[in-house]
Amino acid sequence: MGDSELTRLEAMPVLPMRPELLKGHLDALLLAVLEPGPQHGYAVMEALRSGSDGALELPTGTVYPALHRLERAGLIASNWETVGGRRRRAYHLTAAGHAALSEQRAIWDQFSTVVTALLARRPWPATA
Amino acid sequence: MASHSLNDNATAAPSGAPIAAYLDELGARLLGPRRRRAQTLAELRDGLNHATDQHLNAGMSAQQAQAAAVAQFGSPEAVADAFAGELATAYARRAIALYVITGPLVGIWWLLLLRPDPWRAGLIALLAAIPVLPLIMLALATAGGTLASTGRLMRWLPEATPGQALAATAVIAGLCIGGDLTMIALFMASGTPMRPLAIIAVAASMIRIACGITVIARAALIKAHFP
Repeated sequence: MGDSELTRLEAMPVLPMRPELLKGHLDALLLAVLEPGPQHGYAVMEALRSGSDGALELPTGTVYPALHRLERAGLIASNWETVGGRRRRAYHLTAAGHAALSEQRAIWDQFSTVVTALLARRPWPATA
Repeated sequence: MASHSLNDNATAAPSGAPIAAYLDELGARLLGPRRRRAQTLAELRDGLNHATDQHLNAGMSAQQAQAAAVAQFGSPEAVADAFAGELATAYARRAIALYVITGPLVGIWWLLLLRPDPWRAGLIALLAAIPVLPLIMLALATAGGTLASTGRLMRWLPEATPGQALAATAVIAGLCIGGDLTMIALFMASGTPMRPLAIIAVAASMIRIACGITVIARAALIKAHFP
């Protein structure tokens, strides 16, 4: 990506994304947020928001049920702990979650290359 | 009200505190297993406390900070709607697991009571003695499929929706009710004297019929409250 393009992207306003736009990608985003280490639900919401410069400000009703579903699927696990007198549920990736995240990253790389090429009308990258 | 006992830290919050009122209202709207509802509320309480801390650090008063945190989390109605699917699936999985675990506790008495003579071994003899076996097999297949497609295997299988999981639960309960009623009717029609074993078998089936009716009614209630 050239300097002029970077400057153009930085100058663009950060548009809030609707949750329905993330359908199909939310699982991967949540797994990616949990990859560095265990986090509780609100910290996951904050990480999504801060990691996207405020573009991914997802509502409570989207993030928490999605975490519960990922736990049901065995991709993440949770532990209850008491911190400062407060009960807290911290989520972490399971081995299956790490594997699923790697797979999702590969799928996204391919998908985003295709969509970017089509939307930006760039030439399809030649394979070696 | 049930929601008060679920909201286990309600007494720790100041009277009239926005977070306590919010969680009370949300708790009254959640439908599903009691333990899961309590965990959901405890988790949201922690999130609301974090949001409150952020607003306090930004200079708000305690009351303003709690009100801002509550507003940030969305209306109780919207949050309850968002959790409805997961809670419905949790209810379905728990009810089905209970049927699978307790099924043998009912079936064993009928098997002991009506088992075929040792010299008449084989599937046909067993089916003649326990004619509801096909119903049991169908219920077990439905249970296995639903547990698999709503649990860890859903990474490879098509994921069952909460509505499908509830429907499967009602089907399993219905099959068990049908099986129990059939066994009781066949036994009564046979004119066999009521031995202690028969009393236990009939009583176990009656209890399961009552539980089955409750499960079907509960599943219908949860389904009716889907957004």
